Amino acid sequence: MDFDLGEQAATLRTRLRALIADAIPEDYLGAFTNDPNDLEVAQQFCQRLAQEGLLTIAWPTHYGGGGGSMWDQTVVREEMWAHHEPRGAQYMGLNWVGPAIMAYGTEAQKQQHLSAIAAGAVIWCQGFSEPDAGSDLASLTTRANADGDGYRISGQKIWTSYAGMAQWCVLAARVGSGERHEGITMFLLPMDSPGITVRPIRSMLGYHHLNEVFFDDVAVGPDAVLGGVGEGWAVIRRALAHERVGIARYARCERLLSALGAALAPHWDDLPASLRVQWAKALVQVRVARLLAYRTVHAQATGEVPDVLASSARIAVTQCDQAVAEVLCQAVEERALDAGPTAPLYGAIEDHWRYAQAATVASGTIEVQRMIVAKALLGPRA
Amino acid sequence: MNPVLPSEATEFAATAAKAFAALGGVDAARRAEEEPTRRSAEVVAALAAIGAEDLDPRDNPDSLAAAAALCEAAGAVALPFPLAGTLLRDSHQRPFAVVPEGIWRVDHGHLFPHWRVTSLTGVHAIAASDATPLGSRLGPFVTDLHALAGSTDDPGEPGGAPHPDLATHLTLTAWHILGTTGRAVELAVEHVLGRVQFGKPIAAFQSVQFQLADCSVAVAGLRELACFTLWRLTAAPEDALTDALALRMHAIDVARTVLRTTQQLHGAAGVCDEYDICVLIRLVQPALRLPWGAERTTAALAEAIARHGFEGLFPHGPAPR
Repeated sequence: MDFDLGEQAATLRTRLRALIADAIPEDYLGAFTNDPNDLEVAQQFCQRLAQEGLLTIAWPTHYGGGGGSMWDQTVVREEMWAHHEPRGAQYMGLNWVGPAIMAYGTEAQKQQHLSAIAAGAVIWCQGFSEPDAGSDLASLTTRANADGDGYRISGQKIWTSYAGMAQWCVLAARVGSGERHEGITMFLLPMDSPGITVRPIRSMLGYHHLNEVFFDDVAVGPDAVLGGVGEGWAVIRRALAHERVGIARYARCERLLSALGAALAPHWDDLPASLRVQWAKALVQVRVARLLAYRTVHAQATGEVPDVLASSARIAVTQCDQAVAEVLCQAVEERALDAGPTAPLYGAIEDHWRYAQAATVASGTIEVQRMIVAKALLGPRA
Repeated sequence: MNPVLPSEATEFAATAAKAFAALGGVDAARRAEEEPTRRSAEVVAALAAIGAEDLDPRDNPDSLAAAAALCEAAGAVALPFPLAGTLLRDSHQRPFAVVPEGIWRVDHGHLFPHWRVTSLTGVHAIAASDATPLGSRLGPFVTDLHALAGSTDDPGEPGGAPHPDLATHLTLTAWHILGTTGRAVELAVEHVLGRVQFGKPIAAFQSVQFQLADCSVAVAGLRELACFTLWRLTAAPEDALTDALALRMHAIDVARTVLRTTQQLHGAAGVCDEYDICVLIRLVQPALRLPWGAERTTAALAEAIARHGFEGLFPHGPAPR
């Protein structure tokens, strides 16, 4: 038993922090603020990571990656999320779109997409949820009707992050007249295809986070299918397993809890004792969330498909995110309402609270995670 | 990086679980309540048969892991014996206990004439046990100890260094609590699958499923923290007390939620001694409340972090001035 991530991981962490300190402004709160320069910072940072061989450090070398371990990837996730994800929207392509293409893509798809993702040059969005297919994703109704060799896609997606800035979309649509998982097929299609309309949804998360995407008879060729017609559910399952541990929310929680002392100095001792106790409890909750995430990564690294572990980790991590958000806000009291550069931690606490509210919904609701865990516990008799 | 308990420890715990099952599982605790004089011998014999007497968690990380897994197995059946304390016995066969500042109250204290005790403040003592156990429903075996006159052992001093066995004892006790909470979830799963109401097993109700899922995640998290803390005791002994306090605090928090939920899912059966869940919940109370309950443990943790920091991805500790 050994919980040390090793010398290589420690070196990588130090290197990433140095890069971030050099390239990312101290008050950076992510790519999706009201300031368009923040998106540009993220794009430039991705290209710098790519030049240094760090953007796809955990990809296999024959796909242009660094051949690093899943623990290297974990360190990257932690450092990026802790520092407000300076890769912007590109983490999605790196974390699971790229790996899904490696696993299910044709040679041509690999050639076309993997090098572009590895170069930090492309943003992907994910067209899964629909107005009537959220947690129950298998009820999706976006259709891909055969048209010659290819397909014509019609339907609506919703809650699509980064759709307004993405160049490519990985889309789940149904081919044929099947029900539930039957006929679900994944497509890779450019977002500038005629017939695609993106409509932003105003939300507490900020710009670009949530969108509706309308597909009106969008034509795609047969080469847009990822993983075979009707094989989409397997791709989705793999993608979601990656996504559940893809965001190291606990890392930002811990960084903000660490920074809180400096933000409050010299008034730390003026905090009610009960609040300092809550701060200590939050640190332990963060530790537990991190360890559950590590347990999942360990299972993935040893070849398991850890659905239940991933769901357990996700429940713990997302609840931790919300609990820490509340502790941080309580600590800064009335200033929890401040945003912008003069707010505590440059507005990171206010930003964190807003973003945490969606943690138990994004990438599969906490209720779906509970259903997965309960099914494993209770078996078919329940 | 390998977060999995060594297979030797897991196998040892499986052997122990079989031995405890041969004693009747939770029935051994029921018998102990009814016939207090009989239990010590049968438990000691069972522990000797599996080689537990040769185990010293202070020897090396593997022994520590085996001791922890043994305590987990004991917690799963409310084994009526002070296992963590006896694993940390000294050369005079005196078990070890962490005691409150006020009354030196120890679960199963009457089973041994002399104990080595310590408080969180750094005071150590040799204590004698000549009182009868409380005999209460929540602490049937809890015994009050008193200082042994004329002891020449190092007494420590208030505010001095913590006793070297303190963190290990807190950690092993947390593993006992882990065993109880894990078994409580298993019992609740069995009960909700077998209990039919409204024409179907109550496990079919989503509210029941979600409560069990939350309990399962809580126990899984506690298990990871318990393993991590074992590793830290060896890898970073300078932080041992802080890490052990963090584990104890979390173990109590998880136990409060998981035991309450799993008892509730048993319905009225949950408060009946005929059902294992009831006995487990009653008999784990001393581990949750001695030497300190949740609030005092958390306050001690907050103070320890403020003084010594807390391991993590980022530094935590004394606030900048």
